[in-house]
Amino acid sequence: MSNQSKTPESQDTRRDFIKATGTVAAAATFAATAAPQVHAAEDNTIQVALVGCGGRGTGAAVNALSVDNGPIKLVAMADVFPKNLERSQKNISNAFKDQEGKVDVPEERQFVDFDAYKKAMDVLRPGDVVILATPPAFRWVHFSYAIEKGLNVFMEKPVTVDGPTTVRIMELNKKAKEKNLKVAVGLMCRHCKARQELFERIQGGEIGEINMLRAYRMAGPTGTAACGPKPEGTSELMYQIANFHGFLWLSGGAVSDFLIHNIDETCWMKNDWPVKVHASGGRHYRGDDVDQNFDSYAMEYTFADGTKMYIGGRTMPGCRSEFASYAHGSKGMAVISTASHTPAKSRIYRGQVADKANLAWEFGQPEPNPYQLEWDDLIAAIREDSEYNEVDRGAMASIVTSMGRMAAHTGQEITLDQMMAHKHEFAPGIDKLTLDSPAPLQAGDDGRYPIPLPGIVKKQEYLS
Amino acid sequence: MKMQRLLGSLICCSFLAAGATAADPVPPLDLPESQATSAAEMKPYEEVIEHTDATIEMLPIPGGVFTMGTPDTEEGREDSEGPLHQVEVSPFWMGKYEITWEQYEIWGDELDTIRRRLLKSKETPRDAVVDGFTRPTEPYTDMTFGMGSGRHPAICMTQHAARTYCQWLSAKTGRYYRLPTEAEWEYACRAGTKTAYSFGDDPEMLDDYAWYGENTNDQYEPVGQKKPNPWGLYDMHGNVSEWVLDQYLPDFYKTSAKLNPLAIPKVLFPRVVRGGGWDNDPELLRSGARIASSEEWKEQDPQLPQSIWYHTDALSVGFRIVRPLTVPSEKERAEFWENTQPEQLDPPEGE
Repeated sequence: MSNQSKTPESQDTRRDFIKATGTVAAAATFAATAAPQVHAAEDNTIQVALVGCGGRGTGAAVNALSVDNGPIKLVAMADVFPKNLERSQKNISNAFKDQEGKVDVPEERQFVDFDAYKKAMDVLRPGDVVILATPPAFRWVHFSYAIEKGLNVFMEKPVTVDGPTTVRIMELNKKAKEKNLKVAVGLMCRHCKARQELFERIQGGEIGEINMLRAYRMAGPTGTAACGPKPEGTSELMYQIANFHGFLWLSGGAVSDFLIHNIDETCWMKNDWPVKVHASGGRHYRGDDVDQNFDSYAMEYTFADGTKMYIGGRTMPGCRSEFASYAHGSKGMAVISTASHTPAKSRIYRGQVADKANLAWEFGQPEPNPYQLEWDDLIAAIREDSEYNEVDRGAMASIVTSMGRMAAHTGQEITLDQMMAHKHEFAPGIDKLTLDSPAPLQAGDDGRYPIPLPGIVKKQEYLS
Repeated sequence: MKMQRLLGSLICCSFLAAGATAADPVPPLDLPESQATSAAEMKPYEEVIEHTDATIEMLPIPGGVFTMGTPDTEEGREDSEGPLHQVEVSPFWMGKYEITWEQYEIWGDELDTIRRRLLKSKETPRDAVVDGFTRPTEPYTDMTFGMGSGRHPAICMTQHAARTYCQWLSAKTGRYYRLPTEAEWEYACRAGTKTAYSFGDDPEMLDDYAWYGENTNDQYEPVGQKKPNPWGLYDMHGNVSEWVLDQYLPDFYKTSAKLNPLAIPKVLFPRVVRGGGWDNDPELLRSGARIASSEEWKEQDPQLPQSIWYHTDALSVGFRIVRPLTVPSEKERAEFWENTQPEQLDPPEGE
């Protein structure tokens, strides 16, 4: 990477050249030790590489290329499934078919394998952006390389799935901060205008003392959380990756992937992280499914001041569904988000009954799409060279979510300190995986994978 | 379960496109009340969805001739609601209520199949057909949007999804169900009246008959709580707009057939929904008001390409079903009643 020293003069020149139109929340300060990446004045194009070409990665790439504050283009893609990459490339190209040069990923810059992430990042120059959208198991591996290459990063949530990788990614992040890399985490609700205003109002005392929080993602079967037996002739490793919600080492399972947004936005309103959690859950209609998930989870988190946060997760067909977050205070209650993630339709009611007659405030509709805002904010920070790093917060959201999952899976109360110090790493050595490696999780003779046994296996989430 | 569904959709796309009972018709579930050979014999009945607790109440709607469209003098009338013209519709049964989540989710979530397996129930001749049936892909979010399930109306489905549900229900029961045509819908909604609403012209009275923008708490309500129209149908005005089979053609009334008119869809948008919903103003709830679907109904769908099953932004669009007294032949179904372009196919499953 180039270690250019930054002078006010060069900064001004660049500012003249790069007209950033996006707004930046963070003040544009930088540490004296930082060695910021500056795009060479003759080329202010930001190049993007996509690592992990599933549905979310594809969506993130489209949002990235939609940021309208200077030239930006997609130049490389990586995945372990050629078909994923092919479909993603086609869909992104279609989305920008009227915009010449936005998508510039010829065959020689499409990489397929476990080391494809390196090849895709090698295409970029320091200061470009890599999107890390594989299952989260690989996040720390890919982040390490991005830091080494001096790249700015957008990483999807969750960013970790267990204790050891959380500690690791926070440690890695120190290097990212030293290098002044801009790192975004895909917890887009944090960028939502409605929730931001609600946060200010709650912190300003509009619902009084917060005394209870609750959030739900209760729906039918979701993603690949429930997956059936592996078809003959498919590699175990590739089968698991294709059905990553089903396996804790890859995704943290249904809890981590599906509940993290609601848990994160609810903790945000409390402006704190909980210190402990206990939980219950179970497997009910599982038939031939071989995955590791429960299909219902009920969690009770406790904050340092004793405030409770209740979380409900369910992936069962035919049951009552709810996908929303709430905060209750001594004076009123707030709907943090109404259904799904957007629009949040955040609002405050007088008292505890969410009825029109009690409405005290609501965010006007329509709301800007937070999936786009998180990209506007990141690219603005890159162009303006303002401090921008969401990793620690993303790691905390990830481990707080994982600790609720572990409490349900072990049947024990888990504290945040215990979770942070926990030694069970689900997939050690994942950085050395190849297409021929045995899967980090092996099926039993019956083709089923180890499941949690609450009260029986208490010190870690499953035996392998 | 998932693999089986894939297999199902492969089979279905080819041979079930023209209705479920294409291969070899299965005997219908025996419901004496549902049988009729003439309009005079038609009775109300409750359709049973086997292997579930759900039923669907159906009411006989006698055939007849009526004046379709809106007179020039009516408040809120759009040009597409004219000219007034005489239309004849053949007899049919119609759902007393909008299709509810309880009835709708059975299809998408395969609740009938799951229950059959769990209880090790005896298979019926219809089960084999239903097992291989096209089901929608999983929604990316809670499609009730937190507004409630059970007796609340199902929403956010594309016309293709509503059509496919009817095909599934036909296979499931052995009786032929489909969406109403726009003409059948208006005929049933008017129920012999010529006024803006089936209770008169005064929108002030809507509160007794309909859920709409001014009396709802930003969401739909369980079906059947307001007063019915003269023929006993509930929520024809309001709660949710209802899919019909037709393409939205603003000039269609100028050239439409006199007997059982239908604008066979050739393009995806716009198509017609009727009756208005919980978030609409009174004029969209009028018997003659025509509402056109639009691509904006898919705005929030984060998938690429967007789903053929969901209109993520159509939170006040649902449907109700009809069953014609005279069952059309396979050929008539394929060429007329169930004819629709372009063909709707899910993208191939990824690895």
